[in-house]
Amino acid sequence: MTPRALNAADRGAGPYLWRFSGFNRTLHALVIVSFLGLVATGLPLHFSHAGWARPLIDLFGGVAAAGMLHRICALITFGYFFAHVAYLAYQLATRPDRMRLLWGPDSMVPQLKDVRDIIQMFKWFLGMGARPQFERFSYMEKFDYWAVFWGVAIIGTSGLFLWFPTFFARFLPGWVFNIATIIHGDEALLATCFIFTIHFFNVHIRPEKFPIDTVIFTGRATTEYMQEEHPLEYDRARREGRLDARVAPAPSPAANRWSVVLGFASFGLGVVLVILVFWALLH
Amino acid sequence: MRPLRGLACLLLALGGAGSLAGQAAQVVQCARCHANRDFLLGKGATWLPDSALYVPPTILAGTVHASLRCADCHRGFEAGFPHRVSVKVVPCETCHAREGQDWTASSHAANARTAGDAPTCVTCHGSHVVLSGKDPRSPINRFSIATLCGRCHADRRIIGKYFATPANAPGSTAAQEFPKSVHGAALTRDGLVVSATCTDCHRAHKVLPASDSASSVNRANIPTTCGACHAGVTRVFNASAHGTARAAGAPDSGAWRRPVCSDCHSAHAIVRADQPQWQLGVVEECGTCHKQLYEAFLETYHGKVARLGFGLAAKCSDCHTAHNMRPASDPQSSVFAGNLAATCRQCHPGAGAQFAKYYAHPDPRARTRYPLLYWPWLLMTALLVGVMGFFAIHTGLWLVRSGVARARGEHGASKENGP
Repeated sequence: MTPRALNAADRGAGPYLWRFSGFNRTLHALVIVSFLGLVATGLPLHFSHAGWARPLIDLFGGVAAAGMLHRICALITFGYFFAHVAYLAYQLATRPDRMRLLWGPDSMVPQLKDVRDIIQMFKWFLGMGARPQFERFSYMEKFDYWAVFWGVAIIGTSGLFLWFPTFFARFLPGWVFNIATIIHGDEALLATCFIFTIHFFNVHIRPEKFPIDTVIFTGRATTEYMQEEHPLEYDRARREGRLDARVAPAPSPAANRWSVVLGFASFGLGVVLVILVFWALLH
Repeated sequence: MRPLRGLACLLLALGGAGSLAGQAAQVVQCARCHANRDFLLGKGATWLPDSALYVPPTILAGTVHASLRCADCHRGFEAGFPHRVSVKVVPCETCHAREGQDWTASSHAANARTAGDAPTCVTCHGSHVVLSGKDPRSPINRFSIATLCGRCHADRRIIGKYFATPANAPGSTAAQEFPKSVHGAALTRDGLVVSATCTDCHRAHKVLPASDSASSVNRANIPTTCGACHAGVTRVFNASAHGTARAAGAPDSGAWRRPVCSDCHSAHAIVRADQPQWQLGVVEECGTCHKQLYEAFLETYHGKVARLGFGLAAKCSDCHTAHNMRPASDPQSSVFAGNLAATCRQCHPGAGAQFAKYYAHPDPRARTRYPLLYWPWLLMTALLVGVMGFFAIHTGLWLVRSGVARARGEHGASKENGP
C-alpha cells in the first residue's frame, strides 16, 4: 500500500482527469486573493469593539489605507464577477451544447436531484442509507457557487452605495445607507463564517480530503478522486466515450508544490480570520 | 535696664541723618544692629539676606514695599532696643484687606491653622523681598506660579493628605499634567503671558476645594471661571442645550449631571481641541450621559472608523457642534431638519435633503422606532443563523459519520464503479 498522498487530488490510482479550466482556476485564484483582502480589511470595521480590531487596522496602515485596500479588492471582485458573467454569456451564445450549462448533470443550476441528494446525505449521516453519488457539481459546490454569486451581487451593490453615498442619495433616501450597512456587514460576516468553516470543511478538512485538496489550483485530480467525489459524472463520461479527452498530464512537481503552499496559506489565513470572528462574537 | 536704654538712645542719635532722610523719619536705626554681622554673630542669624535677623537697610529697595519703614510692619519696635525676641509682624491684611479676607476664607488658611503645613502670605510672596508679579524674579510671576504651587502640590505627602478623596482627585495629578497641557505648554514653551496658570482658575488667595460651592472650580462656577478668558465659547455654551439645562436647574451631580467645560476638556490635562486623538476620546465623554445614542453611533460606519482611530470620521461634535449643541426642534440647531443637509455637507460635498435622511445613530433592533431598519436586520440575522445553523449540523453529522465509516472500514460509496 502506497503512503497516503498529502494532497487529496493526488491520491489513488489512475491517470489525472481535467476538472477545472484555466479560466475558472484563474477566477478562483482572484476570488481567494480579493476575498481574503476584503475580509481582513472589513472585519476590523464590523468588530471595531474587539481588542484585535485596532492592531489589525494599524497593520494595514490605518483606516484610510485599509479602506483603500478594501476598495481595490472590491474592484478585483467586480472584475472576476463580470468576467465570469461575460464568459457565461459568450458560452451561451456560441456553444452548440449551451443547454448543458442551464440544465442537466453538468449545470450549476439547482435541480431536483440536489434536493434528493441532500435528503440522501442526511440518511447516510444517520446510517439509514448509502452515501449519495454526485454529478459534476455536488449540492455543496452549487451552494458555494450561488452563495458567491448572490454574495457578490448583494455585498457589491450595498458596498457601492456606501462607497458613493452622495451619488446614490440623488435618487434614494439617506436611510438606504443604514440598510446597506446592515446588509453589507451581515452578508459579509455570513460569507466569512461560511467560507472559512463550511467551505473549508467540505473541500479540505473532511476526512476524505484532509488536509488539502489542490484541484482548484492544478485543475486536475486522479481518476480515483473523480470516482469518489463525482462518480456519476465519471461514469457518464466513460459511457459516452469522453474520458480520453479529459485525461490530463500529471501536474509538475513545482506546480503541485506551489499549489499546496498557496492552498495552505489561504487556508491558514482564513482560519485565523474566522478565529478572530469567534473571538469577537464571544467577547 | 538702664544701660541698655542708654544704648538705644545712642543708636537713635547716631542714625538721625542718613540715606533715609526725607522719607518718614526712621526713628529706630535698625541697621545698626541688623546689618552688623559682628553684632549678630552667635545670635542665630544666617548671612543670607532676608533671614530672620540679618536685614541690610537696602533689602526693601526695588521691592513693592520700598517706601515702607521696618517699623511699619514690625510695629512695636519703634521703641528700639531691647525688643522682645518673639517675632511680631503686623498682619499683611492691615494694608491688603481684601487679599487677607480671601486667604482667611481659603482652605490654605484652614490648613495653616490646624495642620501648619499650608502657605501663608510669605510662603508665596516672600517676607522682605516682595516683588511685583510682573517682575520675572518674583515667585508669583505668571511663568513661575506653577512651580511655586508645585513646591507643595507635587509633594507626595501633601497629595496623599489632601487629594485622596474622589472629589479632590484631579488635584493629585495636577502638578504632573499641567506643564504638558495646552495652558502649561503655552506658558513654559511659548512664553505666552495670557495663558492660564494655577491662580487664574483657582484664584490666588481664595483657594477652595472644588466641592465647596464658593470655589471658582466648583462645577457650578466652572463656565464662569473658564469664561474669564474663553468668553465667546462660554456665551455660546450658556445658550446651548447644556447651558440652558443648567439655568433650568438640572442637577450638578449624579448620573445625569449637566456637563461643564472640564467634563470634556479635563481640568489640568487640557490639550488642543483640534487634536484627532482628543476628538476621538471626547465621544466617550458624550456617551457617559447619552448612552444609547453613543452605543448606536458606535454601530454606524462613522462610529466604527472613529473607534479605529480615523480622525476624519463624523463624531458627536462634528454634527452637533462642540459647544452650541441644541435639540433638533430648535431652528438654530445644526441638526434641525432644515439645517441637517448643510451639516452633512461639511464632509459630504453635494449632500442634499435626501442624503440627510440617513440615521446617524439608529437602533435597528427597535422595531417601532426604526421599522425600515428592523426588518432588514432581522432578515439578515435570520439568514446568518439559518445558514450557519444548517451547515453546522450538516458538518457535524458528516464528521461523525466519516469517523464511523472509517472505524467500520467502509469503502467510498463509488468504489464498485471503478474502471
